Amino acid sequence: MEPVIELENLQVRLGPRIILDRLNGALSGRCIGLLGPNGSGKSTLINTLLGFYRPLAGRAKIFGKEVQENLRDLRAQIGYMPESDAFIADMSGVRFVRYMAELSGLPKDEAMERAHEAFFYVGLGEARYRKLGTYSLGMKQLAKLAQALAHGPRLLLLDEPTNGLDPEARQRMLQLVRDIRDTGEVRVLISSHLLHDIEECCDEVIILKDGKIAALCNLEEERKANLKFLELEVSNENGFLESVRGLGCECASFGAGRLKVVLPDDIEVRQLYRLAGEHSVQIRRMNYRRDSLEDIFLKAMMNGAGPGKADAKVLSHGGL
Amino acid sequence: MAVYKRTYKAYSGPLTPGWSRFTVLTRYGLARLFDSRLFTSYTVFCFLPFLLGLVFIYFVHSTAAQMILGLKFGREPIIDNRWFFEFLRVESWLGVILTAWAAPGMISKDFANQSIQLYLSRPLSRAEYLLGKISVLATLLSFTTWIPALILFVVQAEMQGHGWGWENLWIAGAIILASFLWIGLMSLLSMGLTVWVKWRIAATALFFGVLFFMAAFGFAVNVILRTRWGWLLNVPQMVFLVWCNLFRVPLAWIQLHRDAVPLWSAWASLLAVCAFSLWLLNRRLKAREVERA
Repeated sequence: MEPVIELENLQVRLGPRIILDRLNGALSGRCIGLLGPNGSGKSTLINTLLGFYRPLAGRAKIFGKEVQENLRDLRAQIGYMPESDAFIADMSGVRFVRYMAELSGLPKDEAMERAHEAFFYVGLGEARYRKLGTYSLGMKQLAKLAQALAHGPRLLLLDEPTNGLDPEARQRMLQLVRDIRDTGEVRVLISSHLLHDIEECCDEVIILKDGKIAALCNLEEERKANLKFLELEVSNENGFLESVRGLGCECASFGAGRLKVVLPDDIEVRQLYRLAGEHSVQIRRMNYRRDSLEDIFLKAMMNGAGPGKADAKVLSHGGL
Repeated sequence: MAVYKRTYKAYSGPLTPGWSRFTVLTRYGLARLFDSRLFTSYTVFCFLPFLLGLVFIYFVHSTAAQMILGLKFGREPIIDNRWFFEFLRVESWLGVILTAWAAPGMISKDFANQSIQLYLSRPLSRAEYLLGKISVLATLLSFTTWIPALILFVVQAEMQGHGWGWENLWIAGAIILASFLWIGLMSLLSMGLTVWVKWRIAATALFFGVLFFMAAFGFAVNVILRTRWGWLLNVPQMVFLVWCNLFRVPLAWIQLHRDAVPLWSAWASLLAVCAFSLWLLNRRLKAREVERA
């Protein structure tokens, strides 16, 4: 898949501080998660992609085009949903979205049509003639999504889209993001500090820490790799562990019959059953261990991206 | 993105030309202003001098009307450069109130709603955003300055006849130049002050402050320091000084003849105000603010 976003030695300074420090990497997922603790540079990266900040060094590319040199062209292809409340309070919802669509270049009539459609699409059809100032927080978030979608962008930048939403509204927002992603017509970049949101929607994740890339991983590949990582609970080990190692598996015991096993590609699970039978060992529990995004995030935070480690560190299954 | 399907579909229709995007801001800006009946009423009121001017020109050229009203105008031409100069002066003061009413709300609301980032995340530059907002003021002020003045000029030329229009064509040029100077100055100053304070009421107060309190301060400087350079702080007076030159009106007409500053310094002070406003706009009008430690 062609890269959506490419970062080449990207360095951004705001005032005296370096906020993004020599970022390198290519992101090509359909839905890309941008993770990191507060102050890690997530919003700065989004603002740099929008051309609001000029890089001190290096460059960022979107769809193969350098951002600063193709601002107008790229902004026409981007839909941006900011983190903060950003709307015109005394304007009706549909008029606001129409206004934004017209600014993106849609003719009046088309903008009006798309504004109505966008409102129905996000589920605010009935409230579209109400003034934005009277909307609840959840409705405002959806209205912001509608304005980002109305002009039919190729890339959607969502900055903390579920901020302040109750569980039901949050689920609705995430479902919308998944729907948009699944159409295949739009690539999505979501910035969030909520791991669960990212895990539910994204197939690729970039984790920032102190302005550097702490991890860049493809969640799909990560999930596939997890298929070979087993957690077992057995009645007794009775030489079972050594036999499993003899098959060529990486294996570790954590006491009380708890084992972790990484199967090589040519080893099937039934061979473990056969060995268990040979050693009269009962397998009481067997789980495919799934390295959750939380694990990946914690690993990235612990490993960090210290000085000189600014290049993207692609996480793959790191054994036991 | 058909409603009945409730699925997302990209837009593949026609797009408006890139150069025309700022006009969207102007159109919506004007529509929002005229949502207010009070503002609409005041704008209509601004046309009163124009209507009075039309009636006056008619009376000057209609002996029948003069007889009915018992008026008698002498042989001296009374509709000349001074008449148009005064007409623009009256309209410009009405325009000050119009600017103070319209300008601060246009940008301060965008700051208050944090919507600047939404505008600038679209194919719209900061200059185009500003152009769109200034065009709102330029449109309003045009309809109260050079457009009615030129209509009056044409009506006068038509009623006077005998080549009056051609002989006095320079007055039309003066009307346009003087109005453009006023519109540019008022627009930049009001916008610059608004982005600086970002609060509508404060911006309106500051706008009047710059126009009137600075003038008073300049007068105090003149008296205390026994100089004439204090006039440079009086923005309206500097504009009228430049206008006097454009309309070939003696400075005595605006009581500036005794201690007027040189013309070049008046131009310089007005250009400085414009440059300062542009500097403020460039510094403050940003999608994102960078906090400096």
